[in-house]
Amino acid sequence: MELAEPPRPTDRLAGRVVPYWMLVDGITSLLLAVGLWAFARPWLADNWRHWSPGLDYALLGVSGGLLAMAAVMPTLSYARWRYGFLGDLLLMRYGVVFVEERAVPVRRMQHVDLMRGPVERLFGLATLVVFTAGNEGSAFRVPGLPLERATELRDRIVQMRGDGRL
Amino acid sequence: MTDDSELPPAAAPDDVPATAAAPRDETILAQGHLHPAVLLLRLLDAMRQVAAPLLIGLAVQPWFLVLALIAFVLQLGTAVARYLTLSYLLTEDELRIREGILHRQERRIPLDRIQDLGFESTLLRRGLGLVVVLVETASGRGVEARLDALSRADAEHLREVLLAARGVRAAAPAVDAEHAAAAPGDGTGDATREPPASPTHEPEWYVHRSTPGELLLRGATDLRLGAFVVTGFAALELADQLKLLSGAVGVLDTVERWLTSLSPALLGVVLMTFLLAVLAFGVVTSTLGNLVQFHGFTLLLRGTVLQRRFGLLTTRQKTLPRARVQRVTIEQTWLRRLCGLAVVKADSAGGSRGDGQDTSGGWDVVVPLTRLGTAHAILPALLPGIENDSFTWHKGSPRLVLRMALVGVLWAAVATPLLWWRFGPIGAAGLGFVPLWTVLGVLVYRNLGWAAGDSFFALQHGVVGRTFASVPTAKVQAVVVRQSPLSQLLGLAELTVFVAGGSPTRLPDLTLADARQLSASLVERAARSAAADW
Repeated sequence: MELAEPPRPTDRLAGRVVPYWMLVDGITSLLLAVGLWAFARPWLADNWRHWSPGLDYALLGVSGGLLAMAAVMPTLSYARWRYGFLGDLLLMRYGVVFVEERAVPVRRMQHVDLMRGPVERLFGLATLVVFTAGNEGSAFRVPGLPLERATELRDRIVQMRGDGRL
Repeated sequence: MTDDSELPPAAAPDDVPATAAAPRDETILAQGHLHPAVLLLRLLDAMRQVAAPLLIGLAVQPWFLVLALIAFVLQLGTAVARYLTLSYLLTEDELRIREGILHRQERRIPLDRIQDLGFESTLLRRGLGLVVVLVETASGRGVEARLDALSRADAEHLREVLLAARGVRAAAPAVDAEHAAAAPGDGTGDATREPPASPTHEPEWYVHRSTPGELLLRGATDLRLGAFVVTGFAALELADQLKLLSGAVGVLDTVERWLTSLSPALLGVVLMTFLLAVLAFGVVTSTLGNLVQFHGFTLLLRGTVLQRRFGLLTTRQKTLPRARVQRVTIEQTWLRRLCGLAVVKADSAGGSRGDGQDTSGGWDVVVPLTRLGTAHAILPALLPGIENDSFTWHKGSPRLVLRMALVGVLWAAVATPLLWWRFGPIGAAGLGFVPLWTVLGVLVYRNLGWAAGDSFFALQHGVVGRTFASVPTAKVQAVVVRQSPLSQLLGLAELTVFVAGGSPTRLPDLTLADARQLSASLVERAARSAAADW
């Protein structure tokens, strides 16, 4: 089989996905940090023989790191995220640390979901999830789409499958 | 067919009436009830159930006898009722199983969804000439319905008629395409769809028949032995640490005193004997287990359907339509590779290893053990057309050795200071990660290879053992190219191919360009055959 020059997807996510991710990740990081200081630290200080006050700095570093991640990762992730249709294929490319390129033939999709969490709705965003047959790793998701765009993509997939049976 | 956008317009008018106006007069192909001898089985069951209350009743509390009687009558009553009301019916479209008096239920299973009609028979049932029929669908749930039990003749007849009926359905493309779209397991695409099975009796081809020698070797080369010994010792150590053995401490002390009283040479002999005894025990049990489980293993091809028959005490007969095979692997653990032996396994749609209730039956094993050459020679029977495909084998990137060495460096960088801090200068042994990982890298590189033919994709990987896998490109569901930070640095990538059954197939450490090109051509072929299926 001869190997063709592979294409790369070009469409970007909605820009407002960055503040959305920052908010969600920020809240998660904050909760973790609070948990660390309010519960983990007192417990460790009481029960762990090797505890020393110097470790407070390490804990501070961890908390700071968590918050910094929440501040930086969304931008990087947004900068890397690309998706798009190429003929019969849905392509996506994303990931900051681990970079992944995924390709799914539309006709192999079993069903398509539009997911909208409460915060996602506030930002007017939606996540498109497509499922293929199989057990492991059969769900492929494109987050941070404007609602109209997500609906359009969903309809396009249904139309490309040609039978409206999704 | 309701498809109107992608197909050439000429195709639609012909196809539409075929489904819409299909006459619904039903022809009954087969019907029947459970075999009466089932009542005997149920009687035994009921007797076994009441054995305990009966004993208590006789020995301690007489009113337990009443309880036992009530339980016995209830058990037998429901069994008789079930026997009387359960009936099955096979039409051209579906298999219907009806049962119940108060709570009536009728289950209808469309023929296209039936993936596997398996037979199982325990020793007792075999004596009575009975088999349990397991109706398996592609839903991933495994067994959809269970008929316990039919007479062997009835069961054979049912399977025969069912396979023939499904063959006829496959011949009608409009109907088939509709169901292919509706059934999740079927939407996986059958570009290699076979010509319809003829309703007349088909010849059976013996693909492989295991000899007792092969099964003995399978048991003897079972590497779980090693694991068995290791886990045995680990368990002992853990138990020791947790002071679980304090109860037996007296015995241990005696043994310890006895051991220390021996001369070092004698001690060595005792320990070696103990080790050998454990090993021998493992060899014997796993050999016996394999002999019992796979006794008389026969793989045969009947039209387009593969069939496996095996088992000594519980006999199993499992069918696997060839079109549902998603991937075939030829696996060699290091010991078997040394002996030139291999196991052949097939993944099918709707099931994954370690999932479902039927893992004990070795259901994905197609050939328990054979010579490597034979295993490869059998491939065309499992994946028709593979013999015509031309494979050009490629190696992975040699840079993978560098990647593994770097991973070794990272490990060493973490482990050495920790070990040094804990154990002193001897912790420098942590540096050993670097050569170790480098050697592993060389081994992986030597075993890694892939080949993309026109309709099949093949790969080979391993460290000391080796696994060959072949996936029909028509079955590919999705492809992922993944780069870890190290891979990005070295321009490497890992390719993962998803099919509808089994775990994804991974191909590590290609060059990024190779991985992307391979991914593109695989997914393009998958899309094309998906379109052809439509």
